[in-house]
Amino acid sequence: MKQLLLFFCIIFQCSIIAQTTISGKVTDKKGNPIFGSNVYLDGTYDGGSTNEKGEFSFETAEKATQTLVISFISFETYIKTADVSALENLQIKLRDDVNSLDAVVINAGMFEAGEKAKVTVLKPLDIVTTASAMGDFVGALQTLPGTATVGEDGRLFVRGGEAEETQIFIDGARVFTPFTPTANNIPTRGRYSPFLFKGISFSTGGYSAEYGQALSSVLLLSTIDEPDQEKTDISFMTIGLQVGNTQKWKNSSFSINTSYINLAPYLAIFKDRNTWNKPYQSLSGEMVFRQQFKDDSMLKLYGAYSYSDFDLLQDNINFDDGFRIGLNNRNLYFNASYKNKFGNNWRYETSASFTNDHTNSKIIKDDLQSNENSLHIKAKLKKRFSSRVRLSFGTEYFNTNYDESYTPINTNKLKYGFNNSILATFIETDIFFSKNLAAKVGIRAENTSLLNEFTFSPRASVSYKSGKNSQFSLAYGQFYQNPKNDYLKFSQDFDSENTSHLIANFQSVKQGQIFRIEAYHKAYNSLVKYTDLQPNFTSNFNNNGDGFAKGFDIFWRQNGKIKNTDYWVSYSFLDTERDYRNYPTAARPSFASKHNLSIVTKHWIADWKSQIGFSYQFASGRNYTNPNEPGFLNNETKNFNNLSFNWAYLIDQQKILYFSVNNILGTKNVFGYDYKNTPNTNGNFDRQAIVPNADSFFFIGFFWTISDDKKSNQLDNL
Amino acid sequence: MKKSILIIALLCTVIITAQSKYQTGMQKAFGLWEQGKMTAASQLFERVSKAEPTKWKPAYYAATIEILESFGLKDEAQLKAKLTKAKELLDVAKSNSENNPEIIITQALLNTGYIAFDGQKYGMTLSGKNSQLYAKALAIAPNNPRVILGYAEWNMGSAKFFGKPTQPYCDEVKRAIQLGKEEKIDEEFYPKFMTSRAEEVLKGCEK
Repeated sequence: MKQLLLFFCIIFQCSIIAQTTISGKVTDKKGNPIFGSNVYLDGTYDGGSTNEKGEFSFETAEKATQTLVISFISFETYIKTADVSALENLQIKLRDDVNSLDAVVINAGMFEAGEKAKVTVLKPLDIVTTASAMGDFVGALQTLPGTATVGEDGRLFVRGGEAEETQIFIDGARVFTPFTPTANNIPTRGRYSPFLFKGISFSTGGYSAEYGQALSSVLLLSTIDEPDQEKTDISFMTIGLQVGNTQKWKNSSFSINTSYINLAPYLAIFKDRNTWNKPYQSLSGEMVFRQQFKDDSMLKLYGAYSYSDFDLLQDNINFDDGFRIGLNNRNLYFNASYKNKFGNNWRYETSASFTNDHTNSKIIKDDLQSNENSLHIKAKLKKRFSSRVRLSFGTEYFNTNYDESYTPINTNKLKYGFNNSILATFIETDIFFSKNLAAKVGIRAENTSLLNEFTFSPRASVSYKSGKNSQFSLAYGQFYQNPKNDYLKFSQDFDSENTSHLIANFQSVKQGQIFRIEAYHKAYNSLVKYTDLQPNFTSNFNNNGDGFAKGFDIFWRQNGKIKNTDYWVSYSFLDTERDYRNYPTAARPSFASKHNLSIVTKHWIADWKSQIGFSYQFASGRNYTNPNEPGFLNNETKNFNNLSFNWAYLIDQQKILYFSVNNILGTKNVFGYDYKNTPNTNGNFDRQAIVPNADSFFFIGFFWTISDDKKSNQLDNL
Repeated sequence: MKKSILIIALLCTVIITAQSKYQTGMQKAFGLWEQGKMTAASQLFERVSKAEPTKWKPAYYAATIEILESFGLKDEAQLKAKLTKAKELLDVAKSNSENNPEIIITQALLNTGYIAFDGQKYGMTLSGKNSQLYAKALAIAPNNPRVILGYAEWNMGSAKFFGKPTQPYCDEVKRAIQLGKEEKIDEEFYPKFMTSRAEEVLKGCEK
């Protein structure tokens, strides 16, 4: 019996001898122990966790070569393949995971919205719940620093740049005609529904080499990959109605949105300063089809069509009977994108967009017709060498065919236009030196057929994380853009216009609060100059213009510190002068204000099931030329003030009643002055203020979502 | 001597009934979980999952612990790191067991982790997804008490947010408790219904 016992003991003994001890210590780069990291031999049950001192020790019966894996959240996983006997008393330093949320972000000039962003400046709901935005994503972006309030226009004016200097891209493909046409000093709106986008990146300068043909800014919109659920959305508004529907299948989905807007009923009740022969109406539709394949590969087809028309008489000091503008516009936009992964950490993304825009307008008694066909094709490859080094490169092709015909009353038709192709290529690398230091360096080369010109734009940015919550960034870049269509249609003897950006940024982000300050200097070169009042056939054009813009922007957002309240403040200081167009001398252009301030607040009142919001916008005076005094752009308008209010009442989860008033105080804002072409009997020029068509604007809407989810209790309680 | 023989005999039976490594690993992990050693338990589940790449349960439990631990976190970086890890683990579980209602409702729980952290940022996109996920789970397993309870809790959360009574969901919670009592689980280590927790939920709903 004893022998038997001994026998068992020996077996026991043997099994102990057969075990190998795996041990070591895990620390971070600085030698601080990492507590709780998971240490194991891959594919076996043998492993353990590190203790407070970062030490681990476990036994294994495995033999020969094994793979030791050490993983811990926010560090890169450590892998070592060796003979088990060599896995003793290891000293292991884990590398920081540079892709974690607390790693440095290359962000100079960039604002991001959407849940994918590391630092979200705007949240998806902000776009529809910002009082002054009135459901337009561009309106919400105008509350960010670096943008200017140009009340009569509605487009994005960034850091002393004109609206045309901002380019918009959907899923990587260019949008050539993003805004709906309007008459003088009626602000325009973006054509596309904000709910189609899951993420918005708005760069106010220093952006990636991937983007060109934009002197000031790019706005990158990415559409939703997969809608949440099948649903029908119905909206009744004081200005029209909207219907949308989404269908889902296993790997694909289809959404359609249509809207009809007619301002006639509104204008019948609230008359504005114009005489409308035909109030504004528009019919538009959008469709998106998305198909997911294996391995995150995805195809998206997006198509949008819109038709709009109006006819009105605007009061004008130089026209006793008023100034008539009638217009009808149809616009077709198509966008296709496909992305896929292949090989060893390679990705490719291709996209193409096509726009056809046709406008017939009547200006007083003259006819003007314009037709634009534009195409953009792009292919991009990305290679991830490691989590720390990434390379992307690609090529793209743009073509614009623009035709216009002008028929002055009782005269023959004049036809003109241009056809321009741009071929561009870019290459860019992202390098993370550590979790705290990263750089992006790229170059872009472009060839423009019409100008027969080759340009070369280097771009670089670097970011350094200085503390747990703060980081500094620097960016530099050269940017080229062809002269705008308004010039190219009359002359093609141009060079590209050019800017260089230099940006320094500091950002501090804590839970529920963001602070950032950014200083910039932009130098403009080769700006187009011309000789006449308006560019035309007989104008002399040249590229001798130049200018500069410098200043700083501040952004502060806080959420939840004041209970149920979210607010942000943006302030921009801009010092700019340009000598371009037909300017006799360098001056601050009339669209630019020195100071811009936006304050947006939102407050949730649970008892009322309501969110109320205010937004206040301030812009200091803008320049205008008073011909009664010597000089050019010699006077400044009074300051611009606008306080807007909105109230969203949740009738239930799927029904929302929305009410908003723009300029609730009815402040009489002035954008500038028109002077009479001829002096009066005293030798003075009379003037007329350029003012909004109506001081205030009301909006009431009822938004109803019906989801096909029949099991849902959301409607049962009605 | 007789005693020692008995001991050895007992040892032998243990060896003979040969608990597989998988069972030992899982039991040890559940033991750690019961002791409140969440990290160690989750890591052990993860190790078991790596060693048994075709089983869904170890990855499922590892993910569940990560998700439960994320509730109440104040640091978004930490939250995102934890939930991203949980997502990877759930993807492993999903690839081993398609259309599994237990995994589907855990995906919804993961989304709830994000929504609870920042409703404004994540609510708009994820709450719709959650309704879909529960509907899908319910279609597959209409009488699964965990699915019914999860869905009821989710609906109660939204009702509270919109200031509506939570009363209508009490019956669902009661039904879940009843089904939980009747439920017979044959599969080893299959998720169990937590009656005590359901009763807490019931208390909250009847208020």
